[in-house]
Amino acid sequence: MVEKRAAGFYIVECLKYLVMILFALTTLLPFVNLIAKSFSGEAPVISGRVTFWPLSPTLETYRWVLKGSSFFNALRVSGIITVTGALGAVVLTAMTAFPLSHPGFRGRRGVLYLWVFIMLFNGGIVPNYMLYRTLGMMDTLFSLILPGLVNVYNMFLIKNYFESLPESLEEAARIDGANNLRTLFQIVLPISLPMLATITLFYAVAYWNDYFTARLYISTLSRRPLQLYLYDMINNALRIMDQGLDANTGAISADEVMNLTPETVRSAAIVLSTLPILMVYPFLQKYFVTGIVVGSVKG
Amino acid sequence: MTQSAYTPPILRKSGFRAYFRRNYDMYLLLIPGLLYALMFRLLPLLGISIAFVDYNMFAGSNPIKAILASKFVGIENFTRVFRKADFRQALSNTFTISFMKIVVLFPLPILFALIIHSLRSVKFKRVVQTIVYIPHFFSWVVVSGIFMQILSSGGLINTALLRSGLFSEPVKFFMDQKIFRWLLIFTDGWKEIGWSTIVNLAALAGVDQELYEAAVIDGARKMQQLLYITLPCILSTIILMLIMRVGSVMDAGFSQILVMYNATVYKVSDIIQTYVYRIGLGKMDFSLGTAVGLFNSAVAFVLVISTNMISRKTLGKSIW
Repeated sequence: MVEKRAAGFYIVECLKYLVMILFALTTLLPFVNLIAKSFSGEAPVISGRVTFWPLSPTLETYRWVLKGSSFFNALRVSGIITVTGALGAVVLTAMTAFPLSHPGFRGRRGVLYLWVFIMLFNGGIVPNYMLYRTLGMMDTLFSLILPGLVNVYNMFLIKNYFESLPESLEEAARIDGANNLRTLFQIVLPISLPMLATITLFYAVAYWNDYFTARLYISTLSRRPLQLYLYDMINNALRIMDQGLDANTGAISADEVMNLTPETVRSAAIVLSTLPILMVYPFLQKYFVTGIVVGSVKG
Repeated sequence: MTQSAYTPPILRKSGFRAYFRRNYDMYLLLIPGLLYALMFRLLPLLGISIAFVDYNMFAGSNPIKAILASKFVGIENFTRVFRKADFRQALSNTFTISFMKIVVLFPLPILFALIIHSLRSVKFKRVVQTIVYIPHFFSWVVVSGIFMQILSSGGLINTALLRSGLFSEPVKFFMDQKIFRWLLIFTDGWKEIGWSTIVNLAALAGVDQELYEAAVIDGARKMQQLLYITLPCILSTIILMLIMRVGSVMDAGFSQILVMYNATVYKVSDIIQTYVYRIGLGKMDFSLGTAVGLFNSAVAFVLVISTNMISRKTLGKSIW
């Protein structure tokens, strides 16, 4: 009896590990294939021989994608949007959350309801589009930064966090004669840094990955953020290569394009645009898990 | 922080003026956020009125004047759109795709979290966790690009299918009406299952360890611990998440579908929001687009409010 159970136990244990290994491989392998393709020569890619290791390895593709200013321009635009957007957003969100975290704050209920209303109701794509056009925000970076400045869900996370801080902290500050503003900026914000880092990352990832807003509002090539650049690259690789197009890419000779295929070019462009995310992944891991715990539903 | 934290009792009795004088800076803090709300969230709500007129953008020098000068048509835009076959198709696609996603993608992260939770090797757990939620941070452009590459006719998957001899020609995953919805579900799973698994793991980690210790003393086996401790402890959280997921059924994955779909698969993958985008901005039919958008938010609003209420009544837990 005991032996029988032991055998069944091992089978189940093995199965569990197997399922998890499959899960991890399914996540990884498409990306590995992509990396392999991006470093491979034209012939093996076209004949479909590249699996998880580059064949007739070459750096030509990367050299071509990075040539000219297109990629770096898009990277710069995305960088500007992400940094200014995320920092602006977290400051604005924390400022909004602070008064609302005090139960005795007069007018608290009304303002809270307003934000819940905003969270649940929005004008929709068309009215927003008309507003930005009227405001003259079309084809400017403002149209990418301003609309995302306050995420109501994030605001509630910060508010809940402020509420969980010990009361004595603020009391002490007030006894020392600090007003509300000083209490916020010199006492409350500094001790909330880990939490604020988490929220900043939430915002940063949202700004970095935003593609739809740019597709709606940005028309000038040099103002495209990375996601829009990548979208164009994926869908029009052939045309872009044919024409050496993309005003920003320097002139290329026919010889250079000869060794490239849209497949390798797309792969390289995707790999390059994910690099920044992969580089900050350790930070994301550290702070996003904090975020989960903070954001878990209150019973 | 209670009231006393910044309102001494003496002041609480006095009027609002004294309170305001002492705490005016609190109100200053609110101003930037409120300006933002007014400008980018409330002002567009005025635009909803476009849904009830036959909007003519040349009727006035700015949108508000143009709306006022346009002919009021009541709910005609709504009745017009409901007569359109492609709108009804988009509506049914929205529900179909959403429910497919819920049925397939909701249970998997729970199962995976339970498995990871029960593994012994800490190192293995950590490696798996680190890997599986990387795609959560990729944009849909990236994810779509990755799958276009491995599913292309000369890509990894098709090469393998052809070599296996089961298929005589490459499968056009992005062009086939029978396959495309499943592709949407698979890619959504690839991107988000890992992340949801981690979220569920966090819930599992919150289960009181003493319960397990007591169970072990009582001689409970692993399976019994799972059935009588783990599941009951996380059940209400799971149900809450399911209710909330059903509440957001109107969002079948706008950003995903917008990036991935193409004209050959409109029939099976056009959802309400992509429809609004194509009609409202693509064909510049502002009135119709706004009407559909309003219909969409109204249904979503009712769903979210009622599911939140159901979960508060039945589980005592809710999002707000």
